[in-house]
Amino acid sequence: MSNLNSNSNPSLSLLSPLTPPSLERTWLTAPHPTLPIVATCSTDKTVRIYSLTNFTLLSTITGGHKRSVRTAAWKPHITGESVLATGSFDATVGIWRRWDTYGQTTADHSTSLNDDDEAGLGSEADDDEEWRFAVLLDGHDSEVKSVSWSPSGILLATCARDKSIWIWEDLDDGDNNFETVAVMQEHAGDVKCVSWHPVEECLASGGYDDTIRFWREDLDDWGQVACIKKHEGTVWFIDWEGADNIPSTSTTTTVTATATTSTTADADANTATIQTQWCEQRALSGPRLISCSDDRTARVWRRLPKEGTNGINSSAATGIPSIIRPTGSDENWEEDAILPHAHELAIYAVAWSKKTGLVASVGADGRIVIYEERFVQSGAAPAPAPVEGEADSEAMEIDGPLKTEWAIVSVVDGAHGIYEINHAAWAKRADRGVEDGKDEEILITTADDGSVKVWTFQR
Amino acid sequence: MAEMQNSNPTILNVADLPTRSRELKKTTDHDSGIFAAVPNPADFLSSDSETDDDLLEEPIDEQEIYDLIKSISDPEHPLSLGELAVVSLPDIFIKPTLPSVPTSPLQTVTVLITPTITHCSLATVIGLGVRVRLEQSLPPRFRVDVRIKEGTHSTGDEVNKQLADKERVAAALENGALMQVIAKMMETCQ
Repeated sequence: MSNLNSNSNPSLSLLSPLTPPSLERTWLTAPHPTLPIVATCSTDKTVRIYSLTNFTLLSTITGGHKRSVRTAAWKPHITGESVLATGSFDATVGIWRRWDTYGQTTADHSTSLNDDDEAGLGSEADDDEEWRFAVLLDGHDSEVKSVSWSPSGILLATCARDKSIWIWEDLDDGDNNFETVAVMQEHAGDVKCVSWHPVEECLASGGYDDTIRFWREDLDDWGQVACIKKHEGTVWFIDWEGADNIPSTSTTTTVTATATTSTTADADANTATIQTQWCEQRALSGPRLISCSDDRTARVWRRLPKEGTNGINSSAATGIPSIIRPTGSDENWEEDAILPHAHELAIYAVAWSKKTGLVASVGADGRIVIYEERFVQSGAAPAPAPVEGEADSEAMEIDGPLKTEWAIVSVVDGAHGIYEINHAAWAKRADRGVEDGKDEEILITTADDGSVKVWTFQR
Repeated sequence: MAEMQNSNPTILNVADLPTRSRELKKTTDHDSGIFAAVPNPADFLSSDSETDDDLLEEPIDEQEIYDLIKSISDPEHPLSLGELAVVSLPDIFIKPTLPSVPTSPLQTVTVLITPTITHCSLATVIGLGVRVRLEQSLPPRFRVDVRIKEGTHSTGDEVNKQLADKERVAAALENGALMQVIAKMMETCQ
């Protein structure tokens, strides 16, 4: 019961808005995978590139789209150049390129103006400021709602109101050629969101037909491998768990239970046991997916390990599980958790931090909610353990699969005043306020009035 | 536009539609409560700053919402939604959006629409017109919820889902052809 009270009020506090804001609705802000910049999509048909070091506008990408820019994603795994894909209500997807010179000219604490490896490009300073329009991907019949690059950066998935998902391959031939790899039309309504698995070439999608679907390639053919029909409203957004995520052990009931009888060393050993066991179980099912919906719920989904391997109910503590490589046949996904109810209206976005495991959700009620997943000691508190290390550690042996629970750790009402919040994303903190050597994270939220805000989360 | 779907709708007399002046005379809970304490309407005309504040805080009520949408034209008749009883005062509701947060200024306006016939394919357009009219006229602290009144339309749920979808509504606003129809419906609004 002391869980909540003993925490020193973890809270979300506003670090800075991004300025100047768009004067019209902004839909989404995509943080760059390596550089301290973000791309904000606006109804004014532009994409704004802001700096995360000083929170100001660096450049505005205009002239590419004829209607609202709804979505954007940065291509991962490229150096020296940034590549941005944008999706618009004008039914097209734009690809934009720019040499990476941000930081040399705009960062406030740049130390290496001269010895950077891009000196050759620096000669065309004017052109370097420009985003080069590379190509327009034409294929969708109506508004593009979401775009996502595969972890390798080779495949780009796009989806639209035309109920289809397109997968494009970036041929990377220096000529900006993209090839259509697949068109999937199983969704019965607008496809609202697509998102690639963090390491595998598995795509997840959600939509107006209330379903979440999973797609994989099997012998050169892309096909649906699973369909979840549990949400009772449009699925607005999905996000994957980080590949190495481990739920929090710092605040579990385990710790409180052991605190009375055991030493810190015991608690540490116990934590290590739990974490090892978690990793073993998790190698069987892989990263989970989180979804949010018009039905005001956010849910976590887990893939059931394939038949022929150890069932999930048997203790995973025995033996080292082999890594499952699904062969393209159907997969079973089950509901792992429903997050505690926290929104009164549609939830438009969820963001699962790849670094801390924290989840943020935002929606039409203007609220930001932060959740933490914690281990629950099932069948804890057995016979009061004698004050001996051995007996104590024996009591820590856990049968069956580990259980976790989700707890709300922070709620901010009216985070963007009276406006609806359309998107949230975690990013690496890069401003001067970051402590030396510390690897902090920030949350970036994007709202209907065009405002984008940067928040820090303190425990 | 194709053939008329309902060539002989029931029409209400404009003079019979509820108006602000009649509303004030009606004896309601408000009158015996807050409004009973207001001594004289003439006081509102003074430039006293206190009264100004009172005016600012006067909430937007159902009648005001009704007044905003009653004069929207039906897309297939030269008549207003009020005259056709597609919208009516008792089918308008204003509630706090976040009852659990007393300080929140957010309010949800719900408008239930009664299509003139149960299979009217223009129900979505009418609903969109009402939603657009309210979103453009009301302060942004209002969440607009436009729905087909239960049991009055064969595909009500479908229409409702579409009208509630922020992204679809936003995209519709950028659709030239659709907005021309909506603009035509709005011509009769002040």
